[in-house]
Amino acid sequence: MSHEIFMPALSSTMTEGKIVEWLKNPGDKVERGESVLVVESDKADMDVESFQDGYLAAVLMPAGSTAPVGETIGIIVESENEIESVQAQNNNISTAKDKPKKIEVNDEVEIQITKKAVSVSSPIEKEKTKEKKIEVNASTSNSSSRVVASPKAKKIASQMGIDLSKVNGSGPHGRIQVDDVMKAKGQPVSVPWVGEGNTSASIINVNSNKSVQSNNPGNSFGNPGETIQFNTLQKAVNKNMESSLSVPCFRVGYSIDTDKLDSFYKTVKQNGVTMTAILVKAVANALKNHPQVNSSYSEDGISYPEEINVAVAVAMEDGGLITPVLKDPNKTDLFELSREWKDLVKRSRAKQLEPEEYSTGTFTLSNLGMFGVDRFDAILPPGTGAILAIAASKPTVVAGENGSISIKKVMQVNLTADHRVIYGADGAAFLKDLANLIENHPETLVT
Amino acid sequence: MLHRTSILQQPNKILYFEKVLKVQETYQQYLMRGISKNQFVWIGEHNLCYTIGRGSDKKNLLPSLDKNADIFTINRGGEVTCHMPGQLVVYLVLDLNNYKKDLNWYLRTIEEIIIKILRQFDIDSSRKKGFTGVWCGNKKIASIGIGCKRWITIHGFSININCNLNHFENIVPCGIKDCVMTKICDFNPHIRIIDVKDIVKNIIKEEFNFNFVSE
Repeated sequence: MSHEIFMPALSSTMTEGKIVEWLKNPGDKVERGESVLVVESDKADMDVESFQDGYLAAVLMPAGSTAPVGETIGIIVESENEIESVQAQNNNISTAKDKPKKIEVNDEVEIQITKKAVSVSSPIEKEKTKEKKIEVNASTSNSSSRVVASPKAKKIASQMGIDLSKVNGSGPHGRIQVDDVMKAKGQPVSVPWVGEGNTSASIINVNSNKSVQSNNPGNSFGNPGETIQFNTLQKAVNKNMESSLSVPCFRVGYSIDTDKLDSFYKTVKQNGVTMTAILVKAVANALKNHPQVNSSYSEDGISYPEEINVAVAVAMEDGGLITPVLKDPNKTDLFELSREWKDLVKRSRAKQLEPEEYSTGTFTLSNLGMFGVDRFDAILPPGTGAILAIAASKPTVVAGENGSISIKKVMQVNLTADHRVIYGADGAAFLKDLANLIENHPETLVT
Repeated sequence: MLHRTSILQQPNKILYFEKVLKVQETYQQYLMRGISKNQFVWIGEHNLCYTIGRGSDKKNLLPSLDKNADIFTINRGGEVTCHMPGQLVVYLVLDLNNYKKDLNWYLRTIEEIIIKILRQFDIDSSRKKGFTGVWCGNKKIASIGIGCKRWITIHGFSININCNLNHFENIVPCGIKDCVMTKICDFNPHIRIIDVKDIVKNIIKEEFNFNFVSE
């Protein structure tokens, strides 16, 4: 299995970083926690570590080069025999990347697309193309047309698989800007929401599409006629759920327009941002102004935690569920948060979480949006005051205040709260602020 | 619970750079491995030496530089700089998980600390956008260079007090051409390094909100 190394965000304002040095060479063994490379931003150097044991298979951006935050800069594989295939896949890309770099001295870059187009024809490269959807259009263009584009536009185009020769530049002398690439990306979708019914705002991870589209049979842990003992995790979940029966809970719901959120997600997705991270960030942001909703019941009274820790429910394949915690999301930028989340999910599936990584939540999120559900409510985990159930974002006919009718993507959320500490008005005010944040200012969630 | 405590070392004698580097690395390792929750602050002076970052341009070491000079390539950002007696060096091994996981924030906070220190001596100083460090007009009075691993910092900053600035002529300080250095004693010749040390200690303590503890 291969794992990507991303350009980390060293600060909330950083958009790109310089690779100072690779401390490992392709083929070298790396251990979890070992430094693999050094990234510089301003006067600060940061050692970037490997998240797992394995081998550095490929260096996609050489020392001295600059890459946008979230860009894949290297690949780590788990076993030695995977190195060769990954290197073969990436050989063409890394050499192609080196070449334009030389002429990147001034701001305007002239690139010839033909080189890449030729390399796509090798079978391995095709495999890669399918997987990452890179350079799909480039392969169809065999003309050696010269394109003038900003370095960033060029990079984004190559990430999204957009043929720059077919993009109209709006910059000086027809220079292609980032906006032009984005526009070009959106073009084929003439009726914006039709093709996207399933790809709701509530996509939890990359694999979710699979579970939506395939006709996989539902979960079952035993055969017909059998009674299967609960595993340890299932027993623990049962105990937690039963304890909620002694808690006087109420529910309050809200419909949130996600049009802006969806387009924000589209722009940050390429930097590795996950929808879960965005939702967690939004919730943490709203909780900051609603400490009551972050509080919980205790024998001594209302207990206010020092931190806002958002737990997110993750179903386990062999039964039960676990709630990995993103600690204090307000202190972490969206890119880092997404990475933390991916790491938590991976490790929770491998059952490698430390207790403090799944038991310290002060507020919980449960997201079933990827199954297309339009609403559900969640059971309150013990020791916390509230849990938010998030459903799919679906195109919905919306009547405006002035009598107008429009179609917007709407997502229903449903808060379950312990009435001993959180009252209806507290929950409602929290949801109102959360909705306002998601509907009107999703871009503020980056930092 | 946040563990905002720090060990303070403030030796009176001048120490060699490499010796202190080892101490810093040890405390960084302690924090990383969870052996200790104590952060570490070192305030002192070095014998003459030059340090460059891993990504530094070697061209900034000028031909006039003594072939036998001590030059260290270290894990910090930024270009070449120079340490010598009369220059106060401050190292901060801090766990940014306790503060903000943001190196830009950290660099700006260090600049703010230096500006506050200088203000205690009635010296006006400022930031210069794009040129990390602290400046008195067009002259540079303090330099910053840090490294970071798992959000635990290493290295820090230096302020020129009554040092011999001629040594800076053997290098292109911070890689900035025609960069002129200055020192506190150019503004007030009566200030001694010991006076600055105590103020540095207090301002750091206040800014990073920790208590100094014994080892």
